[in-house]
Amino acid sequence: MTTALRDMIANPTTAELELVARYGMQPEDSRRERLFEAFCRTGLPHRRLEAWKWTDFKAALQGLDRPSTSPAQDPIPHAGALVFRFTPNGYFPPDHIPDGLKVFEKDEAQALGAAEDVPLGALAASLSGGKARPATLLLEVTSKELPRLHFQFSGEGEANFARVVVMVRPDMALTVSESHLGGAGLTSSVIEFTLQKGSAVNRTVYQRGTPEEAIASTALVHLDSNSHFTQTSLAFGAKLARLETRVTHQEASAKATLNAAYLVGKDLHADFTTHVRHGANSCVTRQLTKGAVLNGGTGVFQGKFFVPRTAGQYTDADMQHKALLLEEGAVVFAKPELEIYADDVECAHGNTSGALDDDQLFYMRQRGLPEKTARALLTQAFVAEAFAEAGALEEVLRTEAEAWLAAA
Amino acid sequence: MRTMLKIENLTATVGEEDAAKTIINGLSLEVPKGEVHAIMGPNGAGKSTLSYVLTGRDGYEVTGGSAKLNGEDILDMDPEERAAKGLFLSFQYPVEIPGVPVMTFVRAAMNSQRKARGEDEISAPDFIKKSREIGKALKLDTEMLKRSLNVGFSGGEKKRLEIYQMMMLEPNFLILDETDSGLDIDALKTVADGVNAMRSPDRGMLVITHYQRLLDHIQPDKVHVLSKGRIVATGGPELAHRLEKEGYEGILGEVA
Repeated sequence: MTTALRDMIANPTTAELELVARYGMQPEDSRRERLFEAFCRTGLPHRRLEAWKWTDFKAALQGLDRPSTSPAQDPIPHAGALVFRFTPNGYFPPDHIPDGLKVFEKDEAQALGAAEDVPLGALAASLSGGKARPATLLLEVTSKELPRLHFQFSGEGEANFARVVVMVRPDMALTVSESHLGGAGLTSSVIEFTLQKGSAVNRTVYQRGTPEEAIASTALVHLDSNSHFTQTSLAFGAKLARLETRVTHQEASAKATLNAAYLVGKDLHADFTTHVRHGANSCVTRQLTKGAVLNGGTGVFQGKFFVPRTAGQYTDADMQHKALLLEEGAVVFAKPELEIYADDVECAHGNTSGALDDDQLFYMRQRGLPEKTARALLTQAFVAEAFAEAGALEEVLRTEAEAWLAAA
Repeated sequence: MRTMLKIENLTATVGEEDAAKTIINGLSLEVPKGEVHAIMGPNGAGKSTLSYVLTGRDGYEVTGGSAKLNGEDILDMDPEERAAKGLFLSFQYPVEIPGVPVMTFVRAAMNSQRKARGEDEISAPDFIKKSREIGKALKLDTEMLKRSLNVGFSGGEKKRLEIYQMMMLEPNFLILDETDSGLDIDALKTVADGVNAMRSPDRGMLVITHYQRLLDHIQPDKVHVLSKGRIVATGGPELAHRLEKEGYEGILGEVA
């Protein structure tokens, strides 16, 4: 059976063969098998797949190697939060689970809808588990007053996989943060949020890695009526870092806010990919992505709004991507897409990339700011706009961005 | 020596090398300490170019002559060095800086200038006190000063913010580039009051304007007429009135 799956992967690399071997060591589980099969249809995603043309995991990962670099420090505060840590060899839940949160550590894999669309998510779902780690961590939220949940994906090793499913019951609310800090040659996590009627989630994602790590975070978000999902991400990239979010408005009058910033230096690559399906009437999506890239760094933005003809009337959606190329040799790829079949919708998008504005720089220098300070201040202000919805973590993200800019 | 700004036989071009155009063409001018000089001229005479050349904007190349502030050649300095030496340009079109609040910006500018001059930074309470006093005089409330610089401000508010920055930074030489453009009479008066409050025996000013109107509010000691990149006539305030009556063509026809 393992052999048959392996044969689905065209020209398998050492890394892919190692992934197949890891699958072979997992307990028999038919759902797990379907997940791994979904992964094997493509293998590690590569540039010949449209959705991966700028972020080629197959080429980047020759083997599953332990990096010589250490994982990044976690700037998101752990104090006061319920921290769940996933490392290559372990899983560490919080000591105490308060009322209003139910935690199910499942040994079996759970089905993953549209697994073929998210090959690295399918991989994470099929290879999480074993060694005292749940195959699926299921969380049920029945409160509005929970402390922030924090998921940390970090730790030294060859590979780190995790799968989390979060169910937020009607009219409940949750604040959640995630840190994707590398440490393993390949880290892939998949997290699903179901927001039932009238509920709200505010999610903050922080990613940092080195040129020896590949990091993938896949989030699948299902929105019932009048629910509100807010997301703020800050990525510094890795050898490859892919932060993918797929949102489905499945009942009327849901709202999604997707903000992100990428700050990418030399030999690093950060990819924000989003897919929003307006599958119900009167749903709202607001998306703002800001990027700043130095010489030798690569930023990728792929955004898609899909509005089918049979649903999605009165959609109100706006997608903005703005990138700064801070130096010669910085690279940004952007593909904003609106695919709209419904006729009564308001969809807008904007996409710019360029250098800092000369008029602004001269104005600031005329008032006495040295050029470097003026550039840093302008870039900070440019990026900080993406953090406005991050609540208590806004300041943390802003400080991280400022520190990066000061060192750039 | 009472001369503050001394420009001698200045020539400057705009544009890329092969398409460079000479805009300032042998301009000489002296502004002594404590005096306000007006530069008037028709469109295309080189008024804004002069202000940019003096403040060091990229894209303008000095091809000859010199410009000294308090005896120091400024043309080789970076714009921020010139600012630290006390040179201030009030922009015809103040630039919007989204995400940078007015007070944050001015405090950063002030402290950068102080650092460049080897002075201590201003303390936060001193800065806020000074800002409040100046804001009050210019009818700018503190809430406005917390907003992003020039973003969403009216034309008149932007000009008042220029004067606010000028009064906060206390430069010793001011260039006002078309400060009256886009202002109604009330706003013009507020701005002129601010500029007049800056007049001092230790400070020089160059007021660049197309119309005589501003000079009713800011009385110049001397008026220079700029045409084709050179000063072609110099006189007292009465010259501005003559220009208003006879137009540039009348005066320029006479000197030609």
